[in-house]
Amino acid sequence: MAFSLRSVKVPPNSASLEEARSRVFDFFRKACRSIPTIMDIYNLDDVVTKSELRSSISSEIRKNSHVTNPKVIDLLLFKGMEELNNIVEHAKQRHHIIGQYVLGRQGLAQDLDTKDEGTSDFLKNFYKSNYF
Amino acid sequence: MAFRAAVLRHIRLPVQTLKPTASRAPSQWSLLRLFSSHDDHLTKEEVIDRVLDVVKSFPKVDPSKVTPDVHFQKDLGLDSLDNVEIVMALEEEFKLEIPDKEADKIDSCNLAIEYIYNHPMAG
Repeated sequence: MAFSLRSVKVPPNSASLEEARSRVFDFFRKACRSIPTIMDIYNLDDVVTKSELRSSISSEIRKNSHVTNPKVIDLLLFKGMEELNNIVEHAKQRHHIIGQYVLGRQGLAQDLDTKDEGTSDFLKNFYKSNYF
Repeated sequence: MAFRAAVLRHIRLPVQTLKPTASRAPSQWSLLRLFSSHDDHLTKEEVIDRVLDVVKSFPKVDPSKVTPDVHFQKDLGLDSLDNVEIVMALEEEFKLEIPDKEADKIDSCNLAIEYIYNHPMAG
């Protein structure tokens, strides 16, 4: 399983937006089907559930939902596939996965309090996360 | 040693004989065990319950709106990516792998229930 995704070559460009769209769904399905493997190799069972990981993948995809150029979508898909390959091949460590996909962009420091409203946005972003 | 032998000589344990009928009754049933998997297929009610549970537990869905004939995008206000996500959740719940072309067609609870109920490997 771990190396089955490596054989994926760069596909030809999508001819239309419709094709790019269906490729996004294919990628999403592929990512969802590798969730059990990922949870297994990174020991994620005690920190996250499968459905939470699924939602975080879909929110990563939805972040780029405004893109309408098929070539850009192809590029983003390629990057996503690369990321998925790296994760499935265990090229990352547990805290990478937890930091990027379990805690997400909120990070460890979530300001739920009113006390630091005066702090600068720069500092808030700094505390939040280093994944952009 | 002598003490141990003396004690053991005076101890009597009551020995119970098992009733032969009582011990043999379950083994008669085991002869009738069916080795086919066809009889443990999911019932329609079970499929409906589990599909609805999966849909209700989806974070963007209002659980009170979910009924067996609800349409994911028209009635629940989800988009196409959410639709795929629900189908993947159903795949996980019923341990299936739904082919992409058929997964695209599943866009309502009704279709999902029909598909899973008619799938021989759903478990």
